[in-house]
Amino acid sequence: MRVSILILILGMGLVTFIPRFLPMAFLTRRVIPERVKMGLGYIPIAILSAIVFPILFFNEGGKVEIQPHYLLSAIPVFIFAWKVKNLWGSVLLGMLVFWGLGFFL
Amino acid sequence: MDDHQFKEGAKAALPIVLGYLPVGMAFGVLARKTGLTPFEAGSMSILVYAGASQFLAIEMISKSISWFPIVVATFFINLRHLLMSSTLSPHFKGHRLRTLGLLSAQLTDESFAVAMSNSSKISNRPSYLFGLQITSQIAWIAGSVVGALFGKLIDHKEYGIPFALSSLFICLLVIQIKKIHHLWVMVIAGIFSIVFKWALPGNWYILITGILASGIGIAIEMAGRDKK
Repeated sequence: MRVSILILILGMGLVTFIPRFLPMAFLTRRVIPERVKMGLGYIPIAILSAIVFPILFFNEGGKVEIQPHYLLSAIPVFIFAWKVKNLWGSVLLGMLVFWGLGFFL
Repeated sequence: MDDHQFKEGAKAALPIVLGYLPVGMAFGVLARKTGLTPFEAGSMSILVYAGASQFLAIEMISKSISWFPIVVATFFINLRHLLMSSTLSPHFKGHRLRTLGLLSAQLTDESFAVAMSNSSKISNRPSYLFGLQITSQIAWIAGSVVGALFGKLIDHKEYGIPFALSSLFICLLVIQIKKIHHLWVMVIAGIFSIVFKWALPGNWYILITGILASGIGIAIEMAGRDKK
């Protein structure tokens, strides 16, 4: 491995590890206030929404543009996940619908 | 290490594997095109293990940008893990730092989302989380190395693969919604994320939306309590 790439990888690894590790290291050794705990309960939903919604409304160049291919694929997955709550099913359904729509859009 | 929990976690990772293999492969192909060896691509997937920043690194290397700006960009892209790590911490109170270090090194958006879809499975069960995360990471590493070695085995834009991880996230989001407050937070976070992604550079929108929308969640919940 080239030294420059090794430095790059070690640097990236270190700065990625720090925010992954610090909260875990400190908060597991402290009493967390009730209100903060309540907020932590909403973080998965907040983050997942922040990942999912932009996929539907931004193009690959990062500009705002409705993505019909993604939007139309997302709707059946939303409904299926809501009714059936099955991860595998949702992933396979999503892929299938997305693939199928590719022939039309 | 608890074998039963480990296996249970590994099984829970399978939908992630389905998404990580092709995307990892796409990373490997691009890495190779940019001049990285399969060993270098694989090492990055082992030691960094963060998809968005790995793709960005490849993009920046191809433009001959030096290591320092790439590391700085990586830091900011991956700051969002602060929130995920904080959210996991109440489930591992008082565990050894070694264990926590290992678990947090493998934290990704996907494994976090799967872990939180049933938090009773992770509470004080590091072997479960380890099984979930190591299985996901192995898929990512394998994908990267295979992609770098053999090039495109499958086209990662085909067969609905671009939507695999999106479907995973959608399902995990829907599973989290258990009461009306959750639905509100989802709608608010959805709007915020679009506005902030439009207004801010990079992926600050994830961190900022995470903080603001969960803050609003607290406010809604407190307001609901006061009424009672």
